[in-house]
Amino acid sequence: MSKPKPAPLPSGTVVGGYQIVKKLAAGGFGVVYLAEDSKQHLVALKEYLPASLAERSAGELTPRVKPDKQPLYRLGLKSFFEEGRSLAQISHASVVSVLNFFRENETVYMVMNYLQGDTLQDFIITARDLKRDKVFRESSIRSLFDEILRGLRIVHQHKMLHLDIKPANIFVTNDNRAVMLDFGAAREVLSKEGNFIRPMYTPGFAAPEMYRRDGTLGPWTDIYAIGACIYACMQGYPPNDAPQRLEKDRLALSLSRLRNVYSDNLIEVTEWCMSLDPLSRPQSVFALQKELARETERRYTKLSFSERLKLQLESLKTGAKA
Amino acid sequence: MKFVVYQVSRKGGREKNEDRMGYCYTRDAGLFALADGMGGHPEGEVASQLALQTLAARFQREAQPGLADPLRFLHEAIMTGHHQLLRYATERALVDTPRTTVVASIVQGNAAYWAHCGDSRLYLVRGGKLIARTRDHSYSELQDTMSNVVPVGEKVNRNVLFTCLGSPGKPVVDTAGPLLLHTGDRLLLCSDGLWGALSDAQITEQLARRPVSDAVPELVEQALRTAGAKSDNVTVLCIEWESAESGQAAAGVSTQNLGEQVFASTIQASVFGESLPEELDDAEIERSIREINEAIQRRT
Repeated sequence: MSKPKPAPLPSGTVVGGYQIVKKLAAGGFGVVYLAEDSKQHLVALKEYLPASLAERSAGELTPRVKPDKQPLYRLGLKSFFEEGRSLAQISHASVVSVLNFFRENETVYMVMNYLQGDTLQDFIITARDLKRDKVFRESSIRSLFDEILRGLRIVHQHKMLHLDIKPANIFVTNDNRAVMLDFGAAREVLSKEGNFIRPMYTPGFAAPEMYRRDGTLGPWTDIYAIGACIYACMQGYPPNDAPQRLEKDRLALSLSRLRNVYSDNLIEVTEWCMSLDPLSRPQSVFALQKELARETERRYTKLSFSERLKLQLESLKTGAKA
Repeated sequence: MKFVVYQVSRKGGREKNEDRMGYCYTRDAGLFALADGMGGHPEGEVASQLALQTLAARFQREAQPGLADPLRFLHEAIMTGHHQLLRYATERALVDTPRTTVVASIVQGNAAYWAHCGDSRLYLVRGGKLIARTRDHSYSELQDTMSNVVPVGEKVNRNVLFTCLGSPGKPVVDTAGPLLLHTGDRLLLCSDGLWGALSDAQITEQLARRPVSDAVPELVEQALRTAGAKSDNVTVLCIEWESAESGQAAAGVSTQNLGEQVFASTIQASVFGESLPEELDDAEIERSIREINEAIQRRT
């Protein structure tokens, strides 16, 4: 359990012709570095180094993998390749682009555009700590997701699903572009039968069908996650996870708290995207885009007295913030 | 669960390798299977592949993460494979149905269960002794048994089976277990290419003496050498139960840290025409990297 994390490569190390400037982030899959190519352009360099399977002491270049971890290590490598393959096919401003892919130090590296900015997750946390009644303005939410959905449409057109859309995987650049990151869970829809391993899921953002091995994944699975992201942008917190919702669904109730703060239409769209039944959701990104782009006059409905009472009772019961 | 698994398949002197093998596992259950597609009927390699895919697909669906009734699972999944073969032949309007043998074992909760149809075998070796072996569904093995009861005449060709998957009659599937496994037990599945060339005593002795990663390739080599230029396909899949992992060259698998939803498999559940997925070896890694870079080039 308390196995030390593999050490990142020190600054200054050169791999595959890229010189590492510093470590940017480390996740379960590996490490992302800021690096410079031979023309002094900054790139993001992602190293496959699953923390639970590989070991590397400080100063070493080559990770070690114990024999009993080898099968899983190789499985993980497959999804690292999947990510590379997915990204290599797509060229769109809202999808992070991969520039190169190479093998060194007995592992593999993916070179990507270096983006300056913050994840949507960071923005949500900053905004919610301001404790205003709105986390984001409605117009910001609409234009942000319009951009993301354009990228997602291209992803789906390539017969791929992202399968791990969440605020931490949406990047907002300093020049105000929204870019989808981390296609580690992406799978080609057509090859889903050959899955060696079910994609990982993030509670709150993963649709109910992601939790089931026989669940049919489709564009509607990513659309559920988009709905959950919109929810997080309005509420400041992720929604309850799907198993919890299947047990007792409080989504409608928590969305009702947002009434009169956000338009009825935006709340309805969120609820539509997050239907537990996949068939009740928008079946394509296009259908959702149309709904989000509808620029009719926004209607706001206040809560009735009985609804407010119900909310207060519920808050007392659960101890949640109203 | 913890085990070391090692598998080898060799074509021998034949034109094609019609044997298939593979395994898959969840946190709580493992499936090990081997099928030998039959010559003399069309598309033997399709038959063995289809039988294994069906087993793996049903295992993936039903092992959540354990199986409710492993013996029933084995019986039903093997029968499903049989029906898939009949359907395959009907859909393609084949004059004859592709046929295959199959032997499969489930390991769950410290116990082994197995089932077979035809003459692919399972051996269970514990501490140098053969603890269990499947009885082939062949006339010769039937005669061996019968000869202890009544004298019989000349032996018929051992290759003649009285049952297999894809035959017009309902296949005979024998199931056995549960049998509690002990640390170090070896469970070996093989096609007749192995046991046709080597005796049970030779197989047992090799298995008992060395770690599976040495014993299995050695057994296969011996069988190929003994059978010579006309050797049948030789396929062996062997697991060593709860072995001490240190000093083992073979891939050890430990499932206790897996999530409930994890399903890992070496059997590709795919359509035909595609070959079996290779292990992700160096060549495969290089190929993946090359493909990705080609895609990047095309895009820019």
